[in-house]
Amino acid sequence: MSRIIVITSGKGGVGKTTVTANLGIAIARLGRKVVLVDADFGLRNLDLLLGLENRVVYTAIEVIAGQCRLEQALVKDKRQEGVVLLPAAQSRTKEAVKPDQMKKLLSVLAEKFDYVIVDSPAGIEMGFQNAIAAAKEALIVTTPEIAAVRDADRVVGLLEAQGIKRTHLIVNRLKPAMVQAEQMMSVQDVQELLAIPLIGVIPDDERVIVSSNRGEPLALAEHLSLPGLALHNIARRLEGEQIPFLDLMGEQDNFLSRLRRLFRG
Amino acid sequence: MTSDSAEHTQVSPVTQSDLTVDCHVQVRLKSEGEHILLILPLEAEMPGAATWSDLWQQLKHRLNAGDRFWQANSTVHLMAQDRLLDGQKLQEIADALSEVQLQLVRVDTTRRQTAVAAAAAGYSVEQQPPAYSLNQKPPEPAQLLAEPLYLQITVRSGVEIRHPGTIVILGDLNPGGTVVAAGDIFVWGRLRGVAHAGAAGNRECRIMALQMEPTQLRIADAVARAPQTPPAQFYPEVAYVAPEGIRIARATDFAKTHLLLNS
Repeated sequence: MSRIIVITSGKGGVGKTTVTANLGIAIARLGRKVVLVDADFGLRNLDLLLGLENRVVYTAIEVIAGQCRLEQALVKDKRQEGVVLLPAAQSRTKEAVKPDQMKKLLSVLAEKFDYVIVDSPAGIEMGFQNAIAAAKEALIVTTPEIAAVRDADRVVGLLEAQGIKRTHLIVNRLKPAMVQAEQMMSVQDVQELLAIPLIGVIPDDERVIVSSNRGEPLALAEHLSLPGLALHNIARRLEGEQIPFLDLMGEQDNFLSRLRRLFRG
Repeated sequence: MTSDSAEHTQVSPVTQSDLTVDCHVQVRLKSEGEHILLILPLEAEMPGAATWSDLWQQLKHRLNAGDRFWQANSTVHLMAQDRLLDGQKLQEIADALSEVQLQLVRVDTTRRQTAVAAAAAGYSVEQQPPAYSLNQKPPEPAQLLAEPLYLQITVRSGVEIRHPGTIVILGDLNPGGTVVAAGDIFVWGRLRGVAHAGAAGNRECRIMALQMEPTQLRIADAVARAPQTPPAQFYPEVAYVAPEGIRIARATDFAKTHLLLNS
């Protein structure tokens, strides 16, 4: 039984596309066949992060219009077996596709792959409606910021109304030091508000930016960095494994901070 | 929020008529005898051009949150009023109802096209003549409050719940969410969004929550916002209208100081 999962957030710039790219690779490493679908028509990025931009010939629009076969539009990632990208068109807008067409396209893909992962655009308009049309479950990406969490809350409500009740939370770009100093919302704060189960916490890391610019997702690395490891753990939790969460706060819990907390009471 | 310090609450000088809010403009579920009425708002009543998708979202929220309100396999009469529903939309409504073990059996409408579509889909149909022209104002809503609306739901950002009676929410009211009631509002959880009780103008209405951290509270024509610094500890609290504006009391004290004195 294949799974159609939409990755969404409401707010832009919280890391949906980065999570999509890395998660796709991490799941493929577990031996699954994954297709990543870029639903951000008009502002496509997923091919860039995967480093596949120059291999895109056809896009989802051409497939939907019947101008090419589905197989022609799929771009294989040569570095990781089992990952395939269905790119979005850059020249069109989100109104060029209807939810019904998207549903049909994804259900065809679902027959051939174990995982269909849809990278949703920001916002809650047509593009978002297209992205969630066929999804059975959702991963909500948010950063520990009040605006991102508020938008995520709205999106969870919309997903519920759409009948997508299997939603999990990914807290991205957590800065443990700032949480420790009570300058940033903690994972608990976010979870308390959104009230959906947590599936992963990804620490903030400069290497994520470097890897995005190079088109080499962190999850590809031989020796995984901390964010790379967090993403791999999310993939394994999706597969049903029970993996304890990384102790991100641990390294912050030194003598000084304990002393500080003691005085603060 | 405490009941004694004045800076915590701000009463704005809004006139009552500005703040009297119509609570009838949403999809409603109402039990009547052995069946349930699903009442769609009149097209003229919906503010702005409310689309099918807005209506659809309201319906899904209501159905997802109200499963304690009916018995499984109850029958539903759809009061479509002046809504234009084609066969596909009727089918979608019937599917959504059957997901929560409700069965659509009858459609009441004032529009011929809807009646034809419903009859074609095999529902029993009643087509009443339109009660009034579209330009006319809808008839005065009854002064009596509707039966309480009980919802087991997290009211999330962007969701607005209106009801011409008392609303009970088992769950949180999140920031960005709004609850508007003609009667009282109970939140058995955290109240962090906007709550408006007595929206038809009744200043006797109250807002109660286990944890009161609202964005804004409104009772009839009075408005109050939360203090800048949240209290260190939360108690169940009751908001009510005093001569100087909206005040908040601890729920345990409220019964003694307000309810017994008045009786």
